[in-house]
Amino acid sequence: MLAFGCRPAPTGYLGTTSPRHGPNELWINNSVEPEWLDPNKCSDGTGGEIIWNTFAGLVQAHPATLEPLPEIATHWDISADRRTYTFHLRPSEWSDGTPLTAHSFVYSFRRVVDPATASKYATNGHIFKGGAAVSRGEAVPETLGVRALDDLTLEVELEDPLPYFLNFLSFYSFMPIPRHLLEDLAARGIDSDLWTRPEHVVSNGPYRMTEWTFRRRMVFEKNPRYWDAANVRLERIRVAMVESATTALTMYSAGEFDWPGSNTALPAEFMDHLAGFRDFRRHPYLAAYFYWINTERPPLDNLLLRRSLALAIDREALVAHVTRGGQIPSADLVPDGLAGYRGPGRPRFDPVEARRLLAEAGYARGADVPPITLTYNTSEGHKQVAEAIQQMWKKELGITVELENLEWNVFLQAAERTNFQVCRMGWTGDYADPYTFLELLSSDCGNNHSNWKSPDYDRLLQEANREADPAARLAKLREAEEMGLAAQPLIPLYVYTRTQLVKPYVRGLWGNHQDRHPWKYIWIDEQFDPTRPDEAAADPPPPSPGGSAS
Amino acid sequence: MRGYILWRLAGLVPTALVIVVASFALVRLAPGNPFASEREIPPQVRAALDAKYGFDRPLPEQFVRYLGNLLQGDLGLSTKYPQRSVNEIIAAGFPVTLSLAAVALVWSLMVGITAGIIGAVRQNTVWDHAAMAAALVGISIPSFVLGPVLVLVVSLRWQLLPPAGWGDWRHVILPGLTLGTIYAASIARLTRGGMLEVVRSDFIRTARAKGLPERLVIWRHMLKGGLLPVVSYLGPAIASMLTGSVVVEKIFNIPGIGPYFVDAAFNRDYFLVMGIVLLYAFFLLLMNLVVDVVYGLLDPRIEYP
Repeated sequence: MLAFGCRPAPTGYLGTTSPRHGPNELWINNSVEPEWLDPNKCSDGTGGEIIWNTFAGLVQAHPATLEPLPEIATHWDISADRRTYTFHLRPSEWSDGTPLTAHSFVYSFRRVVDPATASKYATNGHIFKGGAAVSRGEAVPETLGVRALDDLTLEVELEDPLPYFLNFLSFYSFMPIPRHLLEDLAARGIDSDLWTRPEHVVSNGPYRMTEWTFRRRMVFEKNPRYWDAANVRLERIRVAMVESATTALTMYSAGEFDWPGSNTALPAEFMDHLAGFRDFRRHPYLAAYFYWINTERPPLDNLLLRRSLALAIDREALVAHVTRGGQIPSADLVPDGLAGYRGPGRPRFDPVEARRLLAEAGYARGADVPPITLTYNTSEGHKQVAEAIQQMWKKELGITVELENLEWNVFLQAAERTNFQVCRMGWTGDYADPYTFLELLSSDCGNNHSNWKSPDYDRLLQEANREADPAARLAKLREAEEMGLAAQPLIPLYVYTRTQLVKPYVRGLWGNHQDRHPWKYIWIDEQFDPTRPDEAAADPPPPSPGGSAS
Repeated sequence: MRGYILWRLAGLVPTALVIVVASFALVRLAPGNPFASEREIPPQVRAALDAKYGFDRPLPEQFVRYLGNLLQGDLGLSTKYPQRSVNEIIAAGFPVTLSLAAVALVWSLMVGITAGIIGAVRQNTVWDHAAMAAALVGISIPSFVLGPVLVLVVSLRWQLLPPAGWGDWRHVILPGLTLGTIYAASIARLTRGGMLEVVRSDFIRTARAKGLPERLVIWRHMLKGGLLPVVSYLGPAIASMLTGSVVVEKIFNIPGIGPYFVDAAFNRDYFLVMGIVLLYAFFLLLMNLVVDVVYGLLDPRIEYP
């Protein structure tokens, strides 16, 4: 759509710069109808966005740094071996006035791993002691290492002393569940899966849902029973479900959205143009784009050939000319800067070495390499990346690559059955720790599609997770990443960025690498004057982490 | 006439059964499954999901169960929207698509028939050429171009109507025009062609010879004959309008049933795909029957046993 083909307005912002609603309201987009709003069953970002703002967990993530902050838990004790956490809860209520106790969390944590729940994110509960056994049906949920010592004290035992546990605990899977509501519905003969519908829903977060018109609109109002309601700024949030990125952009321009929301991508073809507006924002995102290699199918069972291919990709050119969203070129799997982790920093582009490795692999010329097929799921963006890589391998090595695009569901099946030679994949980290990426290469990980397995690698990961000293643990993880990438079962290409447009009068929104923006901090600046944008006050720094870990 | 309609209605039953069997088979033959994800799902969880929807049963049993539910008007549960039944999803989207279709139909008939009559009556004049050139443009411009252009001009430049969304009458105009224009162009060409075909017929010559005023000749005789091809075109056209437009509903973010044709298939949302296909088939069969009946009313040469 050419609406934004016009030059920026004199103010430098895209479209209107004054809200079309009162100062107590926010209009955003959430892209599509969420699958589940049930914290235990949800497995997609659109549902997560709603859950994060309607439920409150034990801890919350700081809106800029994502460090764990107290939420329903006021403080917690950690055992010397870092495997047992004791959370002390503040007295609080569900939105229907029922007291919220530690039992609501016990119920939730058991429910997420219970196979009867059929949660696609059941594996998130594997961090709890006995979680994997429960989700495999080998033990009953009551055996999970989670106990309410009294109404306001919760003891959680972990399988491993995971340093990212508190960060991960703010994930939507771990929100409390109003057991009284589910049981009440069941008693009344209503399908308890419907408990998150507005006519039934009970939640404990900053907002509560008051309207949900299928595929059209959701409306949320401030929950006066939220423990920190005094600090929730906006009264009402209106959430649209607009899937098309260009339509969402038009609506943003017309002021129908103040902020398209975390789940709305900007159309890549307009990225260069949009980046010129003052309301454009960009920040790195905890997700990696890479190509899996099937290490068992010739000719790619040849390690030297795999390494040669990895070195023949000009990643800088790829992000500058093809993806164009400011992505960060990387030959490492783990995005940099995670919890103090620094990856091996593998060379990103070395055509000379690539050609030397090709010769060493036994191919005097690239033309001697049997044709390789590169598979991706049908999408304009993935196609452009694949074509660029195809060209680079041809130019630098003389290797012929055929492209194959598959519809998403067929593609997933091919990946799952390792029925490919090279295939595209993206991976989003669920928590700020290298393990969320490195786990991909472990032998028993169902998401490892490379056929590469190494007991040494698995042992390193295990040792890292049992290591209580954070620095020693990161060193082990780095050793694992080096070992994994040396075998080149995948070729990392870049780290994602998230790009956003935010109306200049929307405040209290900070960039972070999980693209999480709690609504409760957001406010509308009525003083904003587009003719004097430079005088707009910078947002006050987010509240500093007053973490009361003891 | 009544006997004919009853006979035709009885004939719909085997047709419908073939459609149900064929679509069930095609949907289930597609590779992949409704719960596919780039993240591994534990096998026990997968088994629980399959059991919830009955996918763990043998296919013939699943079919019999589906058919049984279908006869009771139950279209099953959606896998993509696990808190909604297919009946509920169609009930939510169909009225939306219906109002869009109504606007598109009225617009397409108004513009199409007017342009067609002008073209036929003023054949080979500048009026004819202008009307047919406009029709050609209307057929050639895809809705994914026309829609955004209308949004750009009417919504963003003139700020007269909302760019997208659904709520009141203002939201239906732009998508209605976008959707209707394509049909209008076809209707114009069919009307013109149909009228030109009858213009040299004996009954027109007779009418003129009787001294009937030209206005009456056009309205009473030429148009009636000229509309026959339009009527047979409108049958499937209305059926397809009633099941929505993927493109127009996406561009204007209209919560109708159009996008399900594509999305439900991509998501392998088995029961939703089936529901939409059956809805479309129902309208198609119904509209074809209506067309045949209307034919009899318009054309005195047709008689029903």
